[in-house]
Amino acid sequence: MAGACPCHSIFLIAERYETLVIQKKNPIDLLFSVITAGASFMVILLVIGIFAILLKESSLSIGKFGFIKFIVTNEWNPVTELFGAAASIYGTMVTTAIALIIAIPIAIGIAVFVTEIATDFLKGPIGAAIELLAAIPSIIYGMWGLFTVAPIMTKYIEPALQKSLGLVPLIGMLFQGTPMGIDLLTASVILSIMIIPFTASISRDAFNLTPAVVKESAYAVGATQWEVVRDVVLPYSKMGVFGGIVLSLGRALGETMAVAFVLGNNHQITSSLFSAAATITVTLANEFTEADKDIYLSSLFHLALVLFMMSFIVLAAAKFLLFKAERKINR
Amino acid sequence: MAEIVDIEAKGLNFYYSGNVHAIKDVNIAAYKKKVTALIGPSGCGKTTLLRCYNRMHDLYPKNRYEGEVIFEGRNILSKDVDIISLRSRIGMVFQKPTPFPMSVFDNIAYGLRLKGIKSRGELSERVEKALRNAAIWDEVFGKLNVSAYELSGGQQQRLCIARALAVEPEIILFDEPTSALDPISTGKIEELIVELKKNVTIIIVTHNMQQAARISDWTGFMMLGELIEFDKTEKIFTAPTEKLTEDYITGRFG
Repeated sequence: MAGACPCHSIFLIAERYETLVIQKKNPIDLLFSVITAGASFMVILLVIGIFAILLKESSLSIGKFGFIKFIVTNEWNPVTELFGAAASIYGTMVTTAIALIIAIPIAIGIAVFVTEIATDFLKGPIGAAIELLAAIPSIIYGMWGLFTVAPIMTKYIEPALQKSLGLVPLIGMLFQGTPMGIDLLTASVILSIMIIPFTASISRDAFNLTPAVVKESAYAVGATQWEVVRDVVLPYSKMGVFGGIVLSLGRALGETMAVAFVLGNNHQITSSLFSAAATITVTLANEFTEADKDIYLSSLFHLALVLFMMSFIVLAAAKFLLFKAERKINR
Repeated sequence: MAEIVDIEAKGLNFYYSGNVHAIKDVNIAAYKKKVTALIGPSGCGKTTLLRCYNRMHDLYPKNRYEGEVIFEGRNILSKDVDIISLRSRIGMVFQKPTPFPMSVFDNIAYGLRLKGIKSRGELSERVEKALRNAAIWDEVFGKLNVSAYELSGGQQQRLCIARALAVEPEIILFDEPTSALDPISTGKIEELIVELKKNVTIIIVTHNMQQAARISDWTGFMMLGELIEFDKTEKIFTAPTEKLTEDYITGRFG
């Protein structure tokens, strides 16, 4: 498929497919094939279509600010009509990173317990709880975050962090300022709770791929349960777990509603986690209605394009890692 | 020459979860520094019996033992036995090679490190000794730091034998160790087993009757969870007492 344009190659595939089909199948099968193939190709067209629209709508902003310069400019000013994505990208990356730092150990702990330690009697309820947690709509997490988590953060957790870690050189930078509860840290905590079930269930599946006989071999030389998990299960499934983490990363990057409530939508880059900030998704959700100028609207599309590409790269990386993990297991 | 009993099952019954009665009142001894083979048709319980000796069944819930397995004067099935140290004294080699996802050296050193041996010198020494005893040193001494997955299947299986030997167990259990290997690798493993019995007691489950005849001193024939006959290997293969044993070894069923 040498066509430079992706659409061209799709038509080529479709054509080939139909010639193959016609040779072998009766009319009903042919109809069936064409319908299912149509549905499938539609997906590809949608992805390309969305990308094209984002590109088209953001062309004004790309022309004015430049694609790269837009990413590195720390300025979001609708009044002076100067737009740069740096603050939003920073907010997105910081909340995602902290969410992962909190979520990964907990999720892996859950997965280890469910696969290696829990009796069948406990596996069911825990598995169901994980799935339910994943099924809660994100706006509910947002509301719960605003009314429950934020006050707890303000009252107890953030002052405690300030008094302890806040005094440590360097790390202390992260915990300066007045604890408000509506800030990067609270948003990260909510995000972490949202991605725990995700990471936990993918890790659980990865752990289950470890062949029982390899675990038994470790037990057979006198390993304890913990040693088997540490030396056999985790190394065996690390690629799968890593893939799961990257998928969670993708989810955290794109999460909007849960974060919008507790982040404060403030375009700034500060070292403290106790400050209000903005993420790409929150900016988009909050500001489309206010975008009265063409360049403002175009810049929002530009922001969306940046997020689209970030998510795409993350997803591609995850797929690649999972593919490699599967190949390793099958060997 | 008097035979010394090393490990002996007495009135052993075993139930898988859901009360599947897999071992029925089995009495069988394994003699010190001899090879005992367990033969019988698929599903006869020979692997299940083997896995009683190192309490492998404990890994899965609701499995139940009855009766005794006496090792050094103690019933190893009793609740207060330290399974971890039991398993380092009764090693096991599985049907398929099961190297750990680590280097050749670390695979062998694994059990030693679990025992708390940290000195690099002692580790190297004992790893080399184990690899030599498993007749694989000449093939891997230049590859100690490569992943164990790089080795061939036959080499991996000898690596697993070396891994079991490294912790210097008194008994090694072999669960059809050559069923996944080609004839040449199989031959090497069989020679190795005969060599190993100078130092350890061996119990081997095998599907291959010729293999049992070639390498074992004693043979137990099992069917449907029962031990039908247990005797010296030559006796079992030349003049079995039981009709069932004769039918099986002459290939009339199985």
